[in-house]
Amino acid sequence: MKWQAKEIDVYLQAKEYVDTAIIPLIPISWGDDIKSTVQMGEFITFISDELERQFKGRVFQFPPYTYLKSEKPEERLLKMNELHEHLKSNGFYHIIYLTSDVDWKQIEAELNDTLLWVPSIPLEHLDEKYRMETLSNQIKQMIPILTNKWQNNERESN
Amino acid sequence: MSEKDHKVSRRQFLNYSLTGVGGFMAAGITLPLVRFALDPALKVGEDTEMVAVAQVNELTNEPKRFDFKVNQVDAWYESEVSRSAWIYEEEGEIIALSPVCTHLGCTVDWDTSDDQPNRFFCPCHYGAFEKDGTNVDRTPPTQPLFLYDHEVRNGTVYLGRPRPQV
Repeated sequence: MKWQAKEIDVYLQAKEYVDTAIIPLIPISWGDDIKSTVQMGEFITFISDELERQFKGRVFQFPPYTYLKSEKPEERLLKMNELHEHLKSNGFYHIIYLTSDVDWKQIEAELNDTLLWVPSIPLEHLDEKYRMETLSNQIKQMIPILTNKWQNNERESN
Repeated sequence: MSEKDHKVSRRQFLNYSLTGVGGFMAAGITLPLVRFALDPALKVGEDTEMVAVAQVNELTNEPKRFDFKVNQVDAWYESEVSRSAWIYEEEGEIIALSPVCTHLGCTVDWDTSDDQPNRFFCPCHYGAFEKDGTNVDRTPPTQPLFLYDHEVRNGTVYLGRPRPQV
């Protein structure tokens, strides 16, 4: 489901079916690496839109979480853990962060949730058909990660 | 005839005709403007046009997934939306099903669950549908998958909008 008021109406009706939050982590910087930073953001936005389309009924797609690329890992962790606490205590069982920013890899172990790191592919020069193909190949690899998570979790609770 | 016999004086007559003509001119300019401004809002719910999605010779008896884009116009805002369809051919008939699960809108896949062989399967809450789209009992969905309007021109399959199969 999307971050839209009318989707919230659906969510409130079907709360028990929606247990996964998808949060794109998108860096901001305006220095020399401006183009690659923008590429990361654009790519992750595509990926998160596609995942939302695939799993509309079980995931909630959050607006991108943006941060300064120069922000220190400790500070990032602090904020993510606050977000984690808040979402966990309000009905989300799985929280999934999507990012192309490799810095998150270093603190992955300390995050309480799943980090999906996808290296960004420059898509802006590809034509429409090829772009869709590239994206859907990426998505295909990510689908089992989510479905396995759900299955394991259901096995535990049974 | 003297001036007094007239019910309308010369001055009044000129006034009337000037306001009349001026009014028409003003209306002639502003009405099309208003019309242009409102036009997109007046055309609501227009059918999406048919989009070329697949070639007939690509189709088999086994449902195959095709991705395509449609232009969605929402009053002034125009956007491209990704859609997919599961298309197969059975006894000369082409069937194009929408992959949107009728439960909560996830995308269903063909024959991916060991528990539901040769059925459409939704990974979110394990909904299942038969090959013709009928929902399987005791799974969450309560109505069949939607069916796309379709037509075939020169060996190409064109799809329109998905409609409920009831």
